[in-house]
Amino acid sequence: MKPSIFIAGLVAASAAAMPVLADKLDDIIASGTLRCAVVLDFPPMGSRDADNNPIGFDVDYCSDLAAALGVTPEVVETTFPERIPALMSGRVDVAVASTSDTLERAKTVGFSIPYYAFENAVVANEGVEMANWEGMKGKTVGATAGTYEAIWLEGKVKEWGEGEFRPYQNQADVFLALSQGQLDATVSTVEVAEANVASGNFPGIKIVDKAPMVPDYVALITLREEYGLINYMDLFINQQVRTGRYAELYKKWVGEGVPADLTIPGVYR
Amino acid sequence: MFNYNFRWNQALDSLPQMLEGALVTIEIAVLSMVIGISIAMVLTLFRLSGNRVLSAITTTWVEIARNTPALFQIYMVHFGLGGFGIHLSPYMSLLIGIAFNNAGYLTENFRGALKAIPDTQTRSARSLGMTPIQAFQHVVMPQMLRISFLPMTNQMVWAILMTSLGAVVAMNTDLYGVTSDLNARTFRTFELFAIAAVIFYLLTKAITLSARLLAARLFRY
Repeated sequence: MKPSIFIAGLVAASAAAMPVLADKLDDIIASGTLRCAVVLDFPPMGSRDADNNPIGFDVDYCSDLAAALGVTPEVVETTFPERIPALMSGRVDVAVASTSDTLERAKTVGFSIPYYAFENAVVANEGVEMANWEGMKGKTVGATAGTYEAIWLEGKVKEWGEGEFRPYQNQADVFLALSQGQLDATVSTVEVAEANVASGNFPGIKIVDKAPMVPDYVALITLREEYGLINYMDLFINQQVRTGRYAELYKKWVGEGVPADLTIPGVYR
Repeated sequence: MFNYNFRWNQALDSLPQMLEGALVTIEIAVLSMVIGISIAMVLTLFRLSGNRVLSAITTTWVEIARNTPALFQIYMVHFGLGGFGIHLSPYMSLLIGIAFNNAGYLTENFRGALKAIPDTQTRSARSLGMTPIQAFQHVVMPQMLRISFLPMTNQMVWAILMTSLGAVVAMNTDLYGVTSDLNARTFRTFELFAIAAVIFYLLTKAITLSARLLAARLFRY
């Protein structure tokens, strides 16, 4: 074989190998669509309007990210437990789904910097005597399986050594059980608690106290090895805050007031 | 494309917890079968009694148990009764839901078995001087139980698999509940569910095999 043919072959082979180097970020831009996993059972972050269209903070956030990438957003509804399988099986590119950035989960998926922070409230059945969050000791409490507050609450019940913890499949079932009196109390994000008390769909519940938790910082997630996309999402989140879009979306979906600070003084991310 | 790196060690560390969950699963399945068989016997007698009200109870039960999703039945036991102020623990809700389903299916199994036993047997027994109850007890029922033995083991397998529906009523101590708790914590979804699937498979396989062995011994002439 002549050396020149050999070199030409090498060049051709490496050119053919080039597309393999394209990462998820390139794939999304090339496909023209950004598929986001969003939980639509979690107002005001995600829900459906009267015409069954997805709405909420997370839905708008997905649209903003798609707009930044110059592609069309596509919301794929998932439940909390389904977020990761949807990502791993390639049904979605990212999850904009209030995913708490725990170290345990970061072994499996790639987290961006936080894009939102939740504070949590203790909500009780009106028939239950409860002065503050410590009143939950010994009671039957529950929360949505797999959420940050569920993990905290289950830990507390174990620590107290009395009472019972019940993980329900979704937020609606938690509040149904609370309203029926099957549960004495739950812990949910302040946003969800206020929305559910105001909705009147769950009679006989009241907000008792703030839960003494570190705020639940939530981040965008994608596959662990997609550094290009994770970098892009980090900058995107930074830009959302910088441009005032974060505050604007907060006002639109959560209400008046100042959105939670996404940085923690004294540390780098 | 399936984009996932399997990392088994973390999931395998959870195996003892999952096996404890499997024990709860077996417990619920066995209890639900015992309750289910007892109720199905009563429902079968209701049907044979010729009393309209009693056989209407049997028909209604069988129709609901067989023609609505088991998930819905379990959900209704918990939240449906909850609406009337009757609060059952997740464990009880799941147990009663599955027992309800079992009873419906087993009643139909018994009906099929009864059809396979010729009427002439009852008549012969009666001609020997047995009362109707004696004829049923000594001649018909043993044959009925024998014919419906293998369908009963099918129902037992189904009961094991139905325990996974406990998630809708906040059940978290059975095999599926334990697994999904671990999943929420670690996101090692596929490893954990694969392990749970293997345990479920082994459980049901063990039941069908031992039932076949038992049947060979019990029904030998």
